[in-house]
Amino acid sequence: MSGAVQTALASPAGPARRAVRDPLVAGLVGLCLAAAAVLLVASPAPYLVNALGQLAAFAILAVSLDLVWGYLGILSLGHGLFFAIGGYVCAMHLLAHGVATTGVLPDFVQFMGWKSLPAYWVGLDHAAYALVLALALAGLVAFVFGLASFRSRVNGVYFSIISQALVYVAMLLMYRNDTGLGGNNGMTGFPLLFGWPMGSPGVVTGLTVAALLTLAAVLAGTRLLIGSAAGRRMLACRDDETRLRTLGYSTTRLKLGIWCLSAMIAALAGILYVPQVGIINPRVLAPDLSIEIAVWVAIGGLGRLGGAVIGAILVNGLKFWLSAAMPEAWPFILSGLVLFVVLVLPNGLLDLVALRPRSTWLRGAR
Amino acid sequence: MVDALTVAFGRFKALDSVSLAVDSGEVRAVIGPNGAGKTTLLDVISGITKPVSGRVMLGDRIDLTQRSEAEIARAGVRRKFQKPSVFPALTVRENLEIGCGPALPARARPARIASVLGEIGLGPRTEVLAGSLAHGEKQWLEIGMVLAAEPALLLLDEPVAGLSDSETAHTAALIRALRRPDRAILVIEHDMGFVEAIADRVTVLHEGRTLYEGSMAGARGDARVIEVFLGR
Amino acid sequence: MADPKRSLLRAVLALCGLGLWAVPTLAAAFDRAAFAQDLCGDGAAQVRGAEGLVKAGGVLPADDLAYAGRLLGALAERRLTCPADGALLLDRPGAPEGHDALTGAVRPAAEARVPVLGLRQRAAVETARGVVALLTGPDPATRGAGLSVVERRVATVPAAVLDRARDAETDAGLKATIASLAQAAALSSPDLARRRAAIAAVAASPSGAAEARLTALRSDPAYTADPAFRAALDAGLSRVTRAVAIGDGLAVVYNGLSFASILFMAAAGLAIIFGLMGVINLAQGEFIMLGAYATYGVQEAFRRLAPGLLDLYLVAAIPVAFLAVALVGIVVEALILRHLYRRPLMSLLATWAVSLFLVNLVRVTIGTQNLQFIMPAYVSGGVPLYADFVVTWNRLFAIGFAAATVVLTLLILRRTPLGLDIRAVTQNRDMAACLGLPTRRVDRLAFGLGSGLAGLAGVALCPIYSVNPGMGSGFIVDSFMVVVLGGVGSLLGTLVAALGVGGANVLIEPISGAVAAKVIVLVGIILFLQRRPEGLFAVRRRR
Repeated sequence: MSGAVQTALASPAGPARRAVRDPLVAGLVGLCLAAAAVLLVASPAPYLVNALGQLAAFAILAVSLDLVWGYLGILSLGHGLFFAIGGYVCAMHLLAHGVATTGVLPDFVQFMGWKSLPAYWVGLDHAAYALVLALALAGLVAFVFGLASFRSRVNGVYFSIISQALVYVAMLLMYRNDTGLGGNNGMTGFPLLFGWPMGSPGVVTGLTVAALLTLAAVLAGTRLLIGSAAGRRMLACRDDETRLRTLGYSTTRLKLGIWCLSAMIAALAGILYVPQVGIINPRVLAPDLSIEIAVWVAIGGLGRLGGAVIGAILVNGLKFWLSAAMPEAWPFILSGLVLFVVLVLPNGLLDLVALRPRSTWLRGAR
Repeated sequence: MVDALTVAFGRFKALDSVSLAVDSGEVRAVIGPNGAGKTTLLDVISGITKPVSGRVMLGDRIDLTQRSEAEIARAGVRRKFQKPSVFPALTVRENLEIGCGPALPARARPARIASVLGEIGLGPRTEVLAGSLAHGEKQWLEIGMVLAAEPALLLLDEPVAGLSDSETAHTAALIRALRRPDRAILVIEHDMGFVEAIADRVTVLHEGRTLYEGSMAGARGDARVIEVFLGR
Repeated sequence: MADPKRSLLRAVLALCGLGLWAVPTLAAAFDRAAFAQDLCGDGAAQVRGAEGLVKAGGVLPADDLAYAGRLLGALAERRLTCPADGALLLDRPGAPEGHDALTGAVRPAAEARVPVLGLRQRAAVETARGVVALLTGPDPATRGAGLSVVERRVATVPAAVLDRARDAETDAGLKATIASLAQAAALSSPDLARRRAAIAAVAASPSGAAEARLTALRSDPAYTADPAFRAALDAGLSRVTRAVAIGDGLAVVYNGLSFASILFMAAAGLAIIFGLMGVINLAQGEFIMLGAYATYGVQEAFRRLAPGLLDLYLVAAIPVAFLAVALVGIVVEALILRHLYRRPLMSLLATWAVSLFLVNLVRVTIGTQNLQFIMPAYVSGGVPLYADFVVTWNRLFAIGFAAATVVLTLLILRRTPLGLDIRAVTQNRDMAACLGLPTRRVDRLAFGLGSGLAGLAGVALCPIYSVNPGMGSGFIVDSFMVVVLGGVGSLLGTLVAALGVGGANVLIEPISGAVAAKVIVLVGIILFLQRRPEGLFAVRRRR
């Protein structure tokens, strides 16, 4: 829009060539694979392994948001919704699997006075079906919301606050006990994962390795997408959507496709996250949590996949450490960090380490 | 091919029953003072603004007012914006590739890009990010982007605004070279010298209405046109 | 000690009341000794004694009632002991000696049995105590407490008790309450004429409770048996139903209006700022919270410095909250947002960081507890207007406050130089800058104005909602919806949208619950945007 064009006019001459190969992403993919390999032979303390696995899940979530925000200029403040869809379906699978194996009904089902799992849980004890359902559901919700928004050209800040209203409403919905999904206590007490007892060292390591491998695959896949013709169209759409439309491209279809893909990646992160922490409840749908995802991306470096990963790991690593060490101070540190990065390092921490060329072209994404 | 077009923003009528026909092979200039509705006219033709009433016919079958921007573009209409609208995060080549439009097969693109590069004279700057081009280069790149699709109707919104004299001359030559029997070109411009150099006919808009239509020389002699441009 | 004249009177009265009382013999003469014996007996005897007293309550002389009240009180508080002969009242549970219930003589209580009250007996005894308190209580508070006990178990209390209490009552409010209760009791009287009169009387002052009471009578055997009764009941019921529906409708409108007022004040600042700078201030909810805390600060200052004027603190808080929060807004603008106007999405994150900071700052420095506000007379209570519809002063305060804010803000936007500047910059920033308007200064002042409006919302909230550091998050999403629906840069749009969203919430809530209301409103807004993406009222801008 006009602001974007003006800044483009005023910007200094940039580098000659945008790097097609991204050493940062390649390095992170290698690091993930190496860490996974190390975990398979050595066995560090389970809590560290578990923390690493959670960080990997958050990194996947951050990449999913960076894909739409950094490369398409769509800031979702409701990505927690898709994360939660993955998490909830995964929790349903784990409970259904437990019921199928042990025959004991979960606490909340007994609490509601039901004799069995609700009817729509049918088949969820099959992992493959649960996986497909989680991704399809996230994709479907994203499709309906995205179609309604993009078709009527809702974008920018408008889109952000409507997406936040969406996750807020979803949170209110899930707090109700009659949804059959655990109400405000959520779902917990998962007994088994593929027949193995939850929390055993093997399962912890397995989950972390799975999360690392998925992160590597997601990074590689999104990197390929960004480098393709579709990726160039995403950048074009981010910087000047009207221009792209008047060149004959249906930006609605482009945005919708990437938006749904992003939602499914976020759901994947939720699927990997829930068995690692052993609980899901409506608090993952709190608007603040969805904003935090954007904070990870902004802190790490918007519009660089590696930046999203680094931001997610950095902020959450700090949070693991500080919210235990000095819980009172954490919110102040977080808000200070956000303001510092937003005001001083417009491209995130990657600016500090000069991992990014002098100037980038992130017009619409901000 | 523009028929009785009316566009209103609230109570303000930006265009009031404007009609005009541009033929293939012609370069038409639309001139008029600020607020005459020139850019609004292009907005309606390219589908960005929907009119209250009236039609915009491309050929004799396609009513552009019923189509989306992308559909209009695919029907062969291309527009160059007033502020140079290139994609700053992409290279010159990538900008032109997108300019080819979704319909052109990937195999045919390199040849098309090469020929456009020759026309706009940005050959040595192919791998440069468009965001780091000079203002004039951006104007030419944008003209190249709209040319890459070989449009049947080319809309140019002030293509020489902010250009130096030599750049303006270069652009005028470029536009004259773009004239083809199967292509109509509609130019909006303030610069009278430039208009005289490129246009076959001119249309003068004033306060949303057509004031004059004919040759540039005729326009210079028309009393109402003189009054609008110089009178106040 | 039995006065023959009084006994005679009692007997006559007892005969009159024969039709009313199931156990008329008990009322014939109140036997104090037998009553004491009943209370000392087993559970069935205790119930018999207590219920007997209740049934006779309409005619018993005051001193008998007082006597019974003393015994019942002692029983309930475990101060009643039962030696072989009579009953003793102790001063405190477990005391070694007590007064004889009948004679008042002091006697040792060593060997006496302490009767225990079971759950069922306790209910009967409480009712009896309530009746005694209602009839003989020395002050309105005691009688009112007795009445509320009686009200809970009105089915077991004869009409004569209530009639007597009503006739003797001196406090007007209490008298009215007793009268309505008596009316209710009359509805279940066996005398059909009396019942019909009661129906008409109930229908004359309609309320939800009256409707429920009359509806319950439809299952009464008399409804099918007696055509006159049926006609009276049907007529009364339809009258009440209609009145209650109208009253409920008015209440919905009123509540919707007050909710919309709060929403408007929360969203107006948001909309002005968004229209001007394209920035959504995610800390707007926290600015409201700051406004409420400023109000609290003013209250505390009044308490210390001018306790006599304490009731005026809400009025005094209006300018204080506005200026304090406007100042905070201006500081936030100058330090942070000024650098982010070309990056609206980043400004979302920055204002979120500000909100996080403010919430935790208040949490750490003041605490997480709800603040206690004094409610001056002009914001507590209300006037029952029609049927169940009560105009509560606190909500009226919010509505009036919002109305005044609308007018003032419109005046500022339409009639002051700042307003003209704000409108000019909103419509075409570049042109305004070309004309020499100091757009940066306009931004800052407008941000202060928008923040100050949030502070005013904080003042208006104090009498209605609980005030704590996290209160802001409850308003922010609803305000978003108002801004999105209302369109950018139009105060009128914000007003209409606030009325729409507030009204929709209040309308849908009783039908399908608060959550469903939010879902439906959100879906409605998204669907609405399909037709009008720019909102209800939008200022057109050039690309």
